[in-house]
Amino acid sequence: MEQGILTAIRTVPLDHYVLLSFLLFGIGAAGVALRRNTIIVLMCIELMFNSVNLLLAAFSAHHSDPRGQVFVFFIMLVAAAEVTVGLSILVMMKRIVDSVDVDQMNRLKG
Amino acid sequence: MSALVLLSVVGVLLLYLGLFNQRASLAVTGVVGLAGAIIVIAAGWHLESPLFGAIVRFDGPARAFSLLMAGATVLLFLFGVDYYARMQRNVAEQYALMLFSLIGGILIVSFSNLVMLFLGIEVLSIPLYILAGGKRDSFRSGEAAFKYFVQGSYASGFLLMGLALVYGATGSFDLATIGSWSTDPAHGHDAIFLLGLLLTLAGLAFKLAAVPFHFWSPDVYEGSPTLITAFMSTVVKTGAFAAFHRLITALQLPDAVGTMLLTLTVLTLFLGNVVALRQTQFKRLMAYSSIAHTGFLLLALLGGDARSGDVLFYYLTAYTLATVGLFIILTLAKRAAQGDEHIRIFRGLFREQPWVAVAALLMLLSLAGIPFTAGFVAKYRVFLLGLSSGHLFTTLFAVAMALLGIYYYALVIREAFAPREQEGGTLAVAPLNLLVITLCGVGVVALAVWPVALP
Repeated sequence: MEQGILTAIRTVPLDHYVLLSFLLFGIGAAGVALRRNTIIVLMCIELMFNSVNLLLAAFSAHHSDPRGQVFVFFIMLVAAAEVTVGLSILVMMKRIVDSVDVDQMNRLKG
Repeated sequence: MSALVLLSVVGVLLLYLGLFNQRASLAVTGVVGLAGAIIVIAAGWHLESPLFGAIVRFDGPARAFSLLMAGATVLLFLFGVDYYARMQRNVAEQYALMLFSLIGGILIVSFSNLVMLFLGIEVLSIPLYILAGGKRDSFRSGEAAFKYFVQGSYASGFLLMGLALVYGATGSFDLATIGSWSTDPAHGHDAIFLLGLLLTLAGLAFKLAAVPFHFWSPDVYEGSPTLITAFMSTVVKTGAFAAFHRLITALQLPDAVGTMLLTLTVLTLFLGNVVALRQTQFKRLMAYSSIAHTGFLLLALLGGDARSGDVLFYYLTAYTLATVGLFIILTLAKRAAQGDEHIRIFRGLFREQPWVAVAALLMLLSLAGIPFTAGFVAKYRVFLLGLSSGHLFTTLFAVAMALLGIYYYALVIREAFAPREQEGGTLAVAPLNLLVITLCGVGVVALAVWPVALP
C-alpha cells in the first residue's frame, strides 16, 4: 500500500470511521426492516455490507495490516453474487404476484 | 483440499450432464463423487496441503462433521432419484447446487480464519436461496426463497459487522491469534470485541434457527421443496452447529456472551416445544421440532468444554438420520394425499406399508427421546453435560421441555397407526426410498447400541 494513502486515511481519527459506519449500518438495517419495496430492501442490504467494507478498510489502515482490505474484496464479490440471486428471486416473484411489495409475499403463516 | 476440489469438479460435471440431457446418470454421478469425497476425507488424503494460505484446517472434528454432512447428502441424493423423477427441467442444477452448498458446509466446519467462516456461510447459503425457490411456478416456493434470501442476507450483514469489529479489536482474522488475544486478562472488557462477538454469534444463531433469530425457519421449511427442507434441517444445521462450536471453543468467552447463550438456549427450548404443540401441518411441525432440537444442542454447547463436540456430533447424527427418513415418508404420504401436508395424511400407514410405519415409529421415538433409541442416548448425554457444567436449572427446564415434546411426536405416531376411514390414494414406495428409510430406521436404533464418537 502506498504510504501517502495510509497517512491520509489515518488523518481522520478511527472513532469517526466507526461512528460513520455504524450510522450507515443502522440506516441499512432499519431500511430492511421498515421499507416495503423489495428493490429498496436489496439496496439497504448492500448499504449494510458497504458500511462494513468502510469499517474494515479503516481498521486495516490503522492496524497497518493489509488483510482487512483483502477481506473487503471478498465481501464485494459475495455481495455481487448475493444480489444476482436476490434479483432473480425478485423477478420470479414479480412474475407470480405482479408486485414488488414485501407484504404481497407473506402468505405462509401458522 | 482434495475433497473440496473433487466435489467442485463433480458439481460442474453434473451441470454438463444436465446440459446434454443425461438425466439417468445425474444421481449416480453425484453419489459416486460424494463417495469419493467421503473416502478422501476419511483417509485424510491430501487434506493438509495449504491451498488457501492455511485458513482451513481439517482436524478430527472437522473431518467427522464433513463426513456426516456428506453422508446425509448421499441419502438425499438417493431420495432425489424418485423425488425429481417427475420434474421436467433443471434437475441437474438441483444436484449441483446441493453439492456446492455442501462445499460451503465443509468450509465452515473446518475454518481456522474468520474470513473463511464468512465465505463458507455464503457458499452454503447462496445455493440454498436458489434451491428454496426450486419450484418455479409455486407461490409458496417463491415466498420461501424470498424470505430466506432477505433474512439470510440481513443476518450475513450482522455477522460481517461482528467480524469487522472483532478484527478491529484484535487486529487479526486468525482464530488461534484471536483466541490467545482473548485469554489476556487486560482485554477481558474490550467493548468493541464484546460487541463484535455478540453480533457474530447472532449472525450464526440465525443459521441455527435459535430463538429469537428463528422467524424464517417455519415459513422457509414449509415453502421449500421437501428434499431441500430435509437438506436444510440436516446438512445446514450440522454445518452451522459445528461452526458455532468451533468458534466458541477457540475463544475465551466474556461473561456477557455466556449470558446471551444461556438466554438463547432457554428461549429456544421453550418456544420450539410449546409452539410445536399446536402444529398440524407436518412440515411446520418438523420446523418447530428442529428449533426445539436446536435448544437441546445449544445446551450441550453451554459447557463449552472438549466433550461438547462429541455430544454434538452424536446428537446431530441421530437427528440427521431421523429427519431424512421422516421427510421421505412425508413426501410419499403427501403424494398419495394429492399435496396435503396435514398430519392426518399418515393415517392408515401401518395397514398399507407396515415396515415404513415401523421405521417412522422408530424415527419419531428417536426424535422424542424415548429409551432404546439414539435420540434418548443423545438427550441423556446432553443433560449430563449440562449438569456437569453447572447449569442445573436450565437442564431441569430442558428435561421438562423434552417431556412436553413427546406429545407432538405421539400425535403423528397415533395417526400412522390409526386405521383409515375412507379410501384415499395408495402409498407407493420406490425400492431406493425403501432402502433409505430402512437405513434411517435401523440407524437410529443401531446408534443407540453402538454410539459413534469423534476421532
